[in-house]
Amino acid sequence: MSALMGLSPLLLLVAAGLAIMLVDAFTSERSELALVTAASLFVGAALAGAMLAGGDIAPAPDVVTRYLAVDELGLFFDIVICVGAGLSALLAGGYLREHGFERGEFYVLIIFTAFGAMVLARAVDLLSIFLGLETMSLGAYALVAYRRTSARAVEGAVKYFLLGSFAAAILLFGSALLYGATGHTDLAGIREVVAAGEADATLTILALVMLIAGLAFKVGAVPFHMWVPDAYEGAATPVTTFMSVGVKAAAVAVLLRVLVGAFGDPVSMGLYTGWTPVIMLMAIVTMVYGNLAALAQTSVKRMLAYSSIAHAGYILVGLAAVHEAGSFAVSSVLYYIAAYTVSNVLAFGSLILMGSKGKEAVSYDDLAGAGRRHPMAAFPFVIGVLSLLGMPPTAGFFGKYYVFSAAVSAGGPMIWVAVIGVLASAVGAYYYLKVIVYLFMREPEEDQPIAVPMQSIYVTVALVLAGYYVLKMGITPSRYLDWAASAASSLIG
Amino acid sequence: MTTQYLTWLLAIPALSALVVLLLPRSWETATKRFAIGAMLVEFIVSTRLILADYSEAGYRFVEHVTWVESFGISYKVGVDGISLWLVILTTLLSPIALYASWGSIKTRIKEYAFSFLLLELGMLGAFVALDLFLFYVFWELMLVPMYLIIGVWGGKDRVYAAVKFFLYTMVGSLLMLVAILYVVASYEKLAGHYTFDLQELSTLFLPAVPQYLLFSAFALAFAIKVPMFPFHTWLPDAHVQAPTGGSVILAAVLLKLGIYGFIRFAMPLFPVASQTLGPVLAGLGVVGIIYGAYAAWVQRDLKKLVAYSSVSHMGFILLGLFAMNRHGVSGAILQMINHGISTGALFLLVGVIYDRRHSRMLDDFGGLAKVMPWYTLFFLIITLSSIGLPGTNGFVGEFMILAGSFFSRTSIGFGSSWFVMTLLATTGVIFAAVYMLHAVLRIFWGKVVHPENESLPDLNRREVVSLLPLIVLVFWIGLYPKFFLDKMNPAVDSFISDFTIRYYEGRRTVEPHLTDLDELKLRLKGVRSLAMTESTGEDVQR
Repeated sequence: MSALMGLSPLLLLVAAGLAIMLVDAFTSERSELALVTAASLFVGAALAGAMLAGGDIAPAPDVVTRYLAVDELGLFFDIVICVGAGLSALLAGGYLREHGFERGEFYVLIIFTAFGAMVLARAVDLLSIFLGLETMSLGAYALVAYRRTSARAVEGAVKYFLLGSFAAAILLFGSALLYGATGHTDLAGIREVVAAGEADATLTILALVMLIAGLAFKVGAVPFHMWVPDAYEGAATPVTTFMSVGVKAAAVAVLLRVLVGAFGDPVSMGLYTGWTPVIMLMAIVTMVYGNLAALAQTSVKRMLAYSSIAHAGYILVGLAAVHEAGSFAVSSVLYYIAAYTVSNVLAFGSLILMGSKGKEAVSYDDLAGAGRRHPMAAFPFVIGVLSLLGMPPTAGFFGKYYVFSAAVSAGGPMIWVAVIGVLASAVGAYYYLKVIVYLFMREPEEDQPIAVPMQSIYVTVALVLAGYYVLKMGITPSRYLDWAASAASSLIG
Repeated sequence: MTTQYLTWLLAIPALSALVVLLLPRSWETATKRFAIGAMLVEFIVSTRLILADYSEAGYRFVEHVTWVESFGISYKVGVDGISLWLVILTTLLSPIALYASWGSIKTRIKEYAFSFLLLELGMLGAFVALDLFLFYVFWELMLVPMYLIIGVWGGKDRVYAAVKFFLYTMVGSLLMLVAILYVVASYEKLAGHYTFDLQELSTLFLPAVPQYLLFSAFALAFAIKVPMFPFHTWLPDAHVQAPTGGSVILAAVLLKLGIYGFIRFAMPLFPVASQTLGPVLAGLGVVGIIYGAYAAWVQRDLKKLVAYSSVSHMGFILLGLFAMNRHGVSGAILQMINHGISTGALFLLVGVIYDRRHSRMLDDFGGLAKVMPWYTLFFLIITLSSIGLPGTNGFVGEFMILAGSFFSRTSIGFGSSWFVMTLLATTGVIFAAVYMLHAVLRIFWGKVVHPENESLPDLNRREVVSLLPLIVLVFWIGLYPKFFLDKMNPAVDSFISDFTIRYYEGRRTVEPHLTDLDELKLRLKGVRSLAMTESTGEDVQR
């Protein structure tokens, strides 16, 4: 039994998912499934946190670790994904009920999607990567389409599904080529062959390009971002929240495992010989495009979608710095993901809080004057956007500081990437501030219906938790920095 | 014994801001009184700093606590003779500005008080921080409350002005962040551990090219804040739109942070670049002096006039600072205080008539001297201080700056450049008299043209109380500047001599290296005793 202790967060989620399915079949509409879901996800996060903080992970049998890593990196992503999913479930508990389409399968889907994401984040074999990816993606497609009466949701889901299938196919093709080039499906084996220079170069490069393309799609990096705005806008807001934190985190995790794990030797990673320039370029384009496109939006939800693309760019900056800055850069990526998770939940959650039945807050106009009428409801929104913008003393500031610090210590062209990054994030100031401008400095038009904040204990709790961690990770970040550092060192010594 | 005065100084506004947030919305008077009371306590606590002994250079009241160990970030604060007066200026003007605000701010009292307390925290933190990370945190922390003060309680175009203010400052400070990270990363490569401690980082010497780039990044952030010509365009907008209290704090304290940043961070860290580029910045300062004065002259809006006069005055301060001698630097620091007092007071005075007439246009006034005699008197005193009449504070500061710049020996290639700059700056003093007296003439003298002006009430108690301390300081500094200069001079002397030593070491730097200042001093002493017989200290350089 103790052999599987390292996987306990995953096992717990499977059990909880099955149990909720059963409970849902036999109980009435008003059962508090959101609470049960969030609680099991938080327990999962707590289990992972206890193991990560304790520092001793029970070794799992070989048959497991061949496919799923039982390491600090996996635990770190367990925490991030469980917290992101748990907070999204809480938001859903308020949102779905308020807007009248709460059904039990939603929570089951969230739990299983989170499970898929956690499997993906631990996957160390091309097969388990694909399995995890599909488990996660199928859940995510269904979640996006969950509000089936809305044309936008269906449109977003179809786009996401079609493009996602292509991306998965490309990834699979890449995996096949990689197997052909190296004769291995496990990342450790691939690493050995690649590092020894025994793999066929052309095939390996082709495979790597395809793997990067397939995973960049899930991360939402330019030029594989086309689905992001539509899917994010169409999906119910709690789903958007989960997609932007959980799904993205898992994709980053597997990107780290593939690029740094399997292709982490100096040549494959090198500035002139390896994947670093590709990621660097992608980071630049993603940051610039994401921020500029977010400027033009009139819908806050869509703006947050583009901002999530921009944040993928900052994450890639950290990844591109790995070739010189090593585990410092990896841990900067991890910390950024964690900080981004709580900040984004805070921003999306505040957007949810701002609307109520019949009038959901979506556009900037819906927010006009809301801060004057309901200052307590607007306050978390301000903290959320300031954290996304990277103002001290929030988690977002430390995250940004950390990735740019990794980029600058990598030196060479990475310094200029950091300069481009900070300038792009200065552009970000404009549209994040626009939220504050509308909340506090504008009044609604005369004939416009006014969005009234909803009253929901679930949403309130989610916001309080997210806000607490946004400030805590910004003021006393040491503990989380240590976690990120120990997770990073399990990937790269 | 551990003295935690500075932590208390930061804790009082922070805790008071939280308390204000928790007070019920309907307790308006209580909120007002509480916020003012907290700021007055803050001022009283801060006066304890003056009593310390500043006869030798170095930081007092230093506290050092590790914050984030793995990054070498620490909470390190302290004051020296330079930051002392800026801290006092902040703690003095914050309650005055807030008290004056209660005349015109009628809505959202609670949020206003909260923003003001947060702003005070940010400003004080930036003045006492001795850790670059800590400084950056406070530097950014100031931005949000000021943005809200302009954007929520400002005039008609407040949103535009607030966003412009925020974006300008943000671009500069983000590039500074990258520069800070570069310095820290270079330090780490040599020393093997991270630190953001200013004193440790200033042992780092970098070769010329990175120094120029890094100094430029710092200088951009600070020049935008000062604001130095041509980065000044946010200032008139922000001032015109900001409520009176916001303008006072903006002019009196926030602008000083730009200059302070140069003194505390940019110049010590990058001596070679600042020695070479300093005269250029001083030259831009001179352009600012003349441009600001001209622009002020043609304004018809009194508040805009004062805003442009700020650009002009800040040009003087840049000129004095980069002259890099005792007169210039001390004069610049003293003039920072003076500008805080006189321009702060001018914005208060503009607020007084705006509250009564809801106009600031010069054309709408005339003959006010008969209607509001006390107001006229106060305005005249401040005007004379602003144009530097002997006996007022402005004279002392400007005279020292001009003297410093006249005798400056830092060179950009042609020897007479400082002479020319001083000459041009002197014309700025004359222009100052022109535009200020022009405004006084239009507002106060002559007949009462507009019937609305005939029955304007004179200064009320609130206005007199908020102006009086500033009037006292105008004469105190004007007649007995020694009290202020004595505390400042040792710090200034050591600033200049340390800078010079670092400059010569920096000139020889080809590879990045770490060298302690004390070691450099010892080395220099040896050289100097050899060279003493034949030359002055000027060419110690080998």
